[in-house]
Amino acid sequence: MRLDDLPGELIMWILIASEVLVFAAGVTVLMALWLTDPQGFSAAQGQLEGRMAALNTVILVTSGLFAARAERAAAAGQRREARIGLLLAALGGILFLVVKGVEYSRDIGAGLGMESHPFFTFYYLLTGFHAAHVIAGVVVLGLVALRARADAVQAGAMFWHMVDLVWVLILPPIYLLG
Amino acid sequence: MDKLTRTWLTLIALILATVSLAPFGGRIASAGLLALAFLKARTILGRFLHLDGAPGWLSVATVPLAIWLIVLWGLNAVALR
Repeated sequence: MRLDDLPGELIMWILIASEVLVFAAGVTVLMALWLTDPQGFSAAQGQLEGRMAALNTVILVTSGLFAARAERAAAAGQRREARIGLLLAALGGILFLVVKGVEYSRDIGAGLGMESHPFFTFYYLLTGFHAAHVIAGVVVLGLVALRARADAVQAGAMFWHMVDLVWVLILPPIYLLG
Repeated sequence: MDKLTRTWLTLIALILATVSLAPFGGRIASAGLLALAFLKARTILGRFLHLDGAPGWLSVATVPLAIWLIVLWGLNAVALR
């Protein structure tokens, strides 16, 4: 096992590990706090709309497929195909944000604000921080699509898969384990 | 069907399994939901992020991940008492 075996740039792996650790810390604190008021946390979680989260998971992994195809096309020197893949992946990110916005509107409309319960403080912080990464990812995908160079497309795709990876890991504690 | 499409179908199947298991409560269902999250993460790391082709590195990523998910399950199991 050597550092050279890692695909892509080492700095991208440092970024991925750092981001996963930050979200893992937040989720672990949420789960620990749950022990202080199990019924209250479960009742708060029960007010979330899990179907939108499931829809967003489908959107994000589908977007990840387009990013992976863009990476493969760029490596083969097919810049046009790479750009199409990147733009479809970015479109998936925008769709994810629209669904998340609808979900937030519904939550806020139901009176579920950050201070309604400690659960919602973590819910908004973790999903909001993730949404910020989605916005950053859409910008990154758009930027690397301009020249569609193989190394840049790979870095952009790796960032996008990190966003996907974090989402599948924070989903169960926030929406499902109650 | 190419490898990337198979990876995507695997992820969709894991999402459908998660949606099917979500209505059930209790420790066993929680363990199942976290196991499905692990499989999704492993699929993304191994295939989309290419760690399947990097000897040893997939374990470096997935072993700590599995330990963390077990810790989450433990905390959840205590909360469900």
